[in-house]
Amino acid sequence: MHLDEERLQRLLHRELSAPLEGAAREHVAACDECRRRLEDATREEANVHALLRAVDTPPPVVSAGAVASRAELPSRASRRGSSWLRRAAALVAVVGIAGVAYALPGSPVRRWVHDVVQRVGGRPGVPGEPSTRGGGAANVSGIAVSPGQSLTIIFARDAAQGVGNGGEIRVSLTSGADVQVRAPGGAATFTTKGDFILIGVRDPSAEFDVRIPRSAPWVEIVQGDDRVFLKEGVRITTSGARGLVRGYVLPLAPTTSPPRRPGP
Amino acid sequence: MDPERTPSFREQFALLFDAHFPSLYRYLNRASGDPELAADVAQETFVKLYQRGSVPDTPGAWLISVAMNLFRNAASTRSRRLRLMTPARGESVLADPPPAPDQALESDDSRKRVRLALDGMPERDRSLLLLRAEGYSYREIALALELNETSVGVFLARARRAFREIYEESSDAS
Repeated sequence: MHLDEERLQRLLHRELSAPLEGAAREHVAACDECRRRLEDATREEANVHALLRAVDTPPPVVSAGAVASRAELPSRASRRGSSWLRRAAALVAVVGIAGVAYALPGSPVRRWVHDVVQRVGGRPGVPGEPSTRGGGAANVSGIAVSPGQSLTIIFARDAAQGVGNGGEIRVSLTSGADVQVRAPGGAATFTTKGDFILIGVRDPSAEFDVRIPRSAPWVEIVQGDDRVFLKEGVRITTSGARGLVRGYVLPLAPTTSPPRRPGP
Repeated sequence: MDPERTPSFREQFALLFDAHFPSLYRYLNRASGDPELAADVAQETFVKLYQRGSVPDTPGAWLISVAMNLFRNAASTRSRRLRLMTPARGESVLADPPPAPDQALESDDSRKRVRLALDGMPERDRSLLLLRAEGYSYREIALALELNETSVGVFLARARRAFREIYEESSDAS
């Protein structure tokens, strides 16, 4: 009696218990047909496994530590589903409350706003206008925030967006501590709250300079429905091209704010 | 490390990661033909393992089951997925010397035919073939694919034959 298919395969794959394997090997030694079947199966498997290697690509360079760090972040999936609705609602509420507080006579909010604008832009800013870096000398506006555990940078169309196109987002990694976004003065408005920066693009032909610390654990750049850049630990994933000198270059294509985010 | 000391979960996680990540990625890449998706799903699987906080009884089967679930979800929502991009891979990948032109043509042809054969197989057969190629035991395969363990050998033999047949048909056609 010959070995059935299951037993033959288990013999090939060392999946039989020791007594059963011994008995099967004894049989194969004495049975020409089963020996031939076992040799055929062994050869066929080796051929198939060799063929499969044709579609292999090297695994990504990632460490257990990097994955563990990512796992320790607050659950991103739980935030994604309705995160845009929540963020948009929070933003509207904050802007509304801030506007009322700012307008109240004698409100300390006016002084706070001026303090913040001064800290970010280096000079007292005009409410509602982008802040300006470098004391206004270079007419560059921008924002600098700590990347925290995760940070989303959103490029969105500002209500006052002008005509034009061809703008770019240039992303580079730095040894600094803060994420910085810079643009020509008047090209955008900047808002930050919690773990995101909202950039309202007014000049679609402008060049935006985004500087991300190498130490930042998780930073993404989003335009419309698309995540166009992701820094996850040391891993960079981007739809943009590498810059000639350094960093990455992404075409600027802001859509209506706030953009809709797909689910995970 | 003191050999008497029980390793912490983080240490066990690192050992499991080093032991299983490459083969899990290879399995997913072979199954999908999409290295980016494979990398995402393999990493997400280990994120879930870490968040679980303890090592499963059969880590291999657990990892592959979770990976397959994530893979199915990712594949079904693929059209809605973010357009995600070409990662900057390790420089070593780019540093391999290019093959000679004849070799390149041959390997390209072989790659296409293997891809066709894998894509043409029923999902269960493809998973069986690829899991076994990664050295998973019959028990792990049975657990991951919800099969009767006593039939895994027969199913494997059929899957191998199915792959060979489709691969050889594509050879005859070309």
